[in-house]
Amino acid sequence: MEAKKVAVYAATGCRACENAILDISFQVNSLDRFARFEFWPYLLGSRLEDLEKPGDIDVTFFTGAISTECDEEAARRLREKSKILVAFGACAAFGGLPGLVNLQQAKKAPEGCEDGTPELPGLRRRVATLHQIVPVDYFVPGCSPPQNYTWTIMQSLVCQSGAAARMSFAASRLPRRIARSVLSGVLPPSGSVFAGEKAVCASCGRMKQEKLFASLNRIHRIEPDPLRCLLEQGLLCQGLATREGCGGLCTGAGLPCRGCFGKAQDIYDAGAKMVSAVSSTFDTTEAAEMQKIAEAFVDLAGTFYRYTAPAQCALLQTPESKRPADEDFEAAGGACNG
Amino acid sequence: MSTINIGPLRYLEEPSQISIGQNGEGLRSFYQVTAPRDIAAMCKGRPAEELPRILTILSPSHHIASAKALDNLFGIRIPPAAENIRKALGETLTLIHHARKLLFLLQSSTNPPGTRENLRIAVPSSQRRTVDEIMKGIAAFQEAAYILGGRYPHPVTVVAGGVSRPIKEVHKRRLQEIARTCLPYALRLRDIFSETVIGNGWYKPINISFRPVASITSGETENEVVATDKTGAEAARFAPEKVLDTLEILSEPWTYLPFVHEKGKTWEGPLSDKTEGLFFVGPLARLNRATPLAAPPAEAERQRMIGCLGAPPHFSPLAGYWSILVELIASAEKCETLYSEENLSGTETRVVATGSGRRGLAAFEAPEGFVCHRYEVDQRGLVEDVTILDAASENNGLRSFLTQKIAEEAFAAGQPWDQAKKTIELSLVPF
Repeated sequence: MEAKKVAVYAATGCRACENAILDISFQVNSLDRFARFEFWPYLLGSRLEDLEKPGDIDVTFFTGAISTECDEEAARRLREKSKILVAFGACAAFGGLPGLVNLQQAKKAPEGCEDGTPELPGLRRRVATLHQIVPVDYFVPGCSPPQNYTWTIMQSLVCQSGAAARMSFAASRLPRRIARSVLSGVLPPSGSVFAGEKAVCASCGRMKQEKLFASLNRIHRIEPDPLRCLLEQGLLCQGLATREGCGGLCTGAGLPCRGCFGKAQDIYDAGAKMVSAVSSTFDTTEAAEMQKIAEAFVDLAGTFYRYTAPAQCALLQTPESKRPADEDFEAAGGACNG
Repeated sequence: MSTINIGPLRYLEEPSQISIGQNGEGLRSFYQVTAPRDIAAMCKGRPAEELPRILTILSPSHHIASAKALDNLFGIRIPPAAENIRKALGETLTLIHHARKLLFLLQSSTNPPGTRENLRIAVPSSQRRTVDEIMKGIAAFQEAAYILGGRYPHPVTVVAGGVSRPIKEVHKRRLQEIARTCLPYALRLRDIFSETVIGNGWYKPINISFRPVASITSGETENEVVATDKTGAEAARFAPEKVLDTLEILSEPWTYLPFVHEKGKTWEGPLSDKTEGLFFVGPLARLNRATPLAAPPAEAERQRMIGCLGAPPHFSPLAGYWSILVELIASAEKCETLYSEENLSGTETRVVATGSGRRGLAAFEAPEGFVCHRYEVDQRGLVEDVTILDAASENNGLRSFLTQKIAEEAFAAGQPWDQAKKTIELSLVPF
C-alpha cells in the first residue's frame, strides 16, 4: 500500500490542534507505512508555493479560522490539491474563539505600510469557517479535538482499510453511521462529523432532577453541587445543545459546557435552543419575576456561540456566509452550518 | 528596494515569516507575525469569570494568570489546597512547554541548519528513539495536566477563588506514578542534550551572541516584579500594579504582534539598532538573575552551563535552550513534591466570590515568561477593557533584532537564505 500524502495547515487560532497531531507523533511514527507528511508549515516550513508541485495531497487537516486573505488563499489551494479536506478543530469547523470578533463591529482594513516596510496579509471583514470558503469533506470538532478522535480520524482517513486492528479501534469510537463505512473500507459520507450524535448531556455524569431554578447563577458566585446538573443549579451550561464526543470533560471538572463541539445533530440554532430550554425551567409564572430572572442573563451571544458565532448563529448568517454547498451538506445530514 | 520573504518559520507559536529588504544602505529584515489574534475583541463584553477559559488561546498558562487576576478583581484569598493544585498545574505546564522546545531542537538535529532540504516528521530510525522518548514523556505530563486542569491544552479547572474541584484519590495515585518518572526523564533529556547538542557540536549554529538586553521576571514572591539591567544586576523592583505604568505596548503596521518596551526610555522601535528600553522575558531571563536553584540536579546543570558559557548574564540562543533544560530539571524535581498525597489533599478548593471590584490585575511567571493581565469590568461584571502582556509580545523586539543580526551575518557571508532561515528558526524558539 502506497503511503498517503498528508498535509496540515494552521490559519488563525492557536497551535493547539497542530500540537494535538504532533502529540500523537510517537504513534504517527508508527503510521509510517501509511502516511507521509508532505506539507506542514509549522514543522516542515512548507510554503503555499510548494503546493504547485505535481501530485495530489491525499488528506489535509486544516486548523484555524479564516480571518486573513492568506488564510483564504490557503483554503482554496489546499481544497484544489486535496482529495480529502478535513476541518480540524472548532476554529476551522465553526470559527472557534477567533470567531467571537464577529460579535463586534466589523474590522477596518489595515492601513497601508510605510515605504520600505513589508505588507501583511489583509484582514477579512468577518472571520469565516473553512466550509464558508470551500467545500469540506469531514469535520472534527473540539477545542482542541481530544486525542482519541485525533487518533481515530488519522486511522480512518489515512490508514483506511490498511490495518484491520486499527480500524476496529477507530470504529469503536465513532458514531454507528460513520463506523459502518470505516469498517466496510469505504470513506464515510461527505460532511460527516467525527464526534457523537447526541448532546453532551447524554455522556455527562451529573444527575438531572427536573428541578426549576429561581435565579441565574454565575460560576464564581456559587460552589455547585458536584453531582447535580449544572443547568438545574442555575449555571448556563450548554451541554443540552452541544454535540457529544468529549465525554463531558468540562462538566466533569465542575464547569459548564461552552459548546466547543458545535451544536448537536438535530438542533437548528444552539442559542435558540438554550433560550427555550432555560426559560422553560424558570421557577415562576409571574411576569415581573420572569423579567427579573431574564435580566440576570448577560452576554448570551458570547456564551451560546462561544465557539460557533461565524457558522451556527442563525442571526449572523448572511448570504456571503452561507454557501450553496451548505444545502447539499445539510441534505447529507451534516450539522455544522446553520 | 527589492524584498524577499523567507518563511513560514517552523516551530514558533505564532505563524510568522521574515521579510528582507535590500537597498543601497544595507539590509533590513522584518520579523512578521502574519496571523492576527484580536484578544481584546474576543474578551470585551464577556463576563469576567469566563476569561480564564477564553485566554487559553494565548497559552495554557494564561488560564492560571487570568484566574489570578480574577482573584484580585473579586478580592478573594484562595485556600491552600487550591494554591497547591494551581502550582502543580503550573509546573506541569512548564514541563510540557520546555520539553516541546527541546523536542524541536533535538528533532531538528537530524536537520542542522542548512544541511537538508526537508525535515520529515518520521525521522530516521536512529533518531526516532530519542523523539519517541521525549514524546512519551510529554504524553505522561499531558495526562497530569488533564488531571489537574480538567483538559489539555486548554485547561478549565482554575477559576476565580481557587480550582473547580479537588483531586480524586485515583488521580492522586496516578499523579504519584507520573511524579516518579519526572526527574529520570529530565535527567535523560540532560544526557541527550549533553551528548548530541554539546558533544556532537550541534550547538554551533545557535551559539550566536547578541547584544545585552534588560529583562523582566517575577520576584521571589508574586507581589514583586524585578527589572534587571543589561549587566544582569537588579535595576528596579516594583509591585505588579505598577507593571502597566512601567511598560508600554507599541503596534506596527507590518506585523500583527505588538511590541512591549519600557516606558520613558529611548527605544526607537523594532527597526532601531538600539536596545535601550527593550527587555526580554522567559527562562533565560530568569536564569540571568544568577540566583542559585534549590534543586541540586538543576543547580548542578546550571553550574555546568556557567562552566561552559561563563558567568551570567548570557545572551545567546544556546544559553536560551540550556536555561530551558535547567528549568525543566528544576520543575521535574518540584513535581515530585507537588504531586504528593499531602500536597494535593484537602477538599476545600474554592472560595466563592462575594465582592465585586471593577479592576483586576495579576502578574504571573509563566513557563514562556513573565505575563500580566489587567481587566476592567462594569457593574455587571462584563469586561470593558483588557490589557494582556504575553511573552510573545514582550520578546517580539528581541526576536526582531536577533533576526536582523542573523540576516546581516548571512548576507555578509554569502550564505543561502534557506540556511539563514533555519538558523533564525532555531534561534527564536527559546524566546
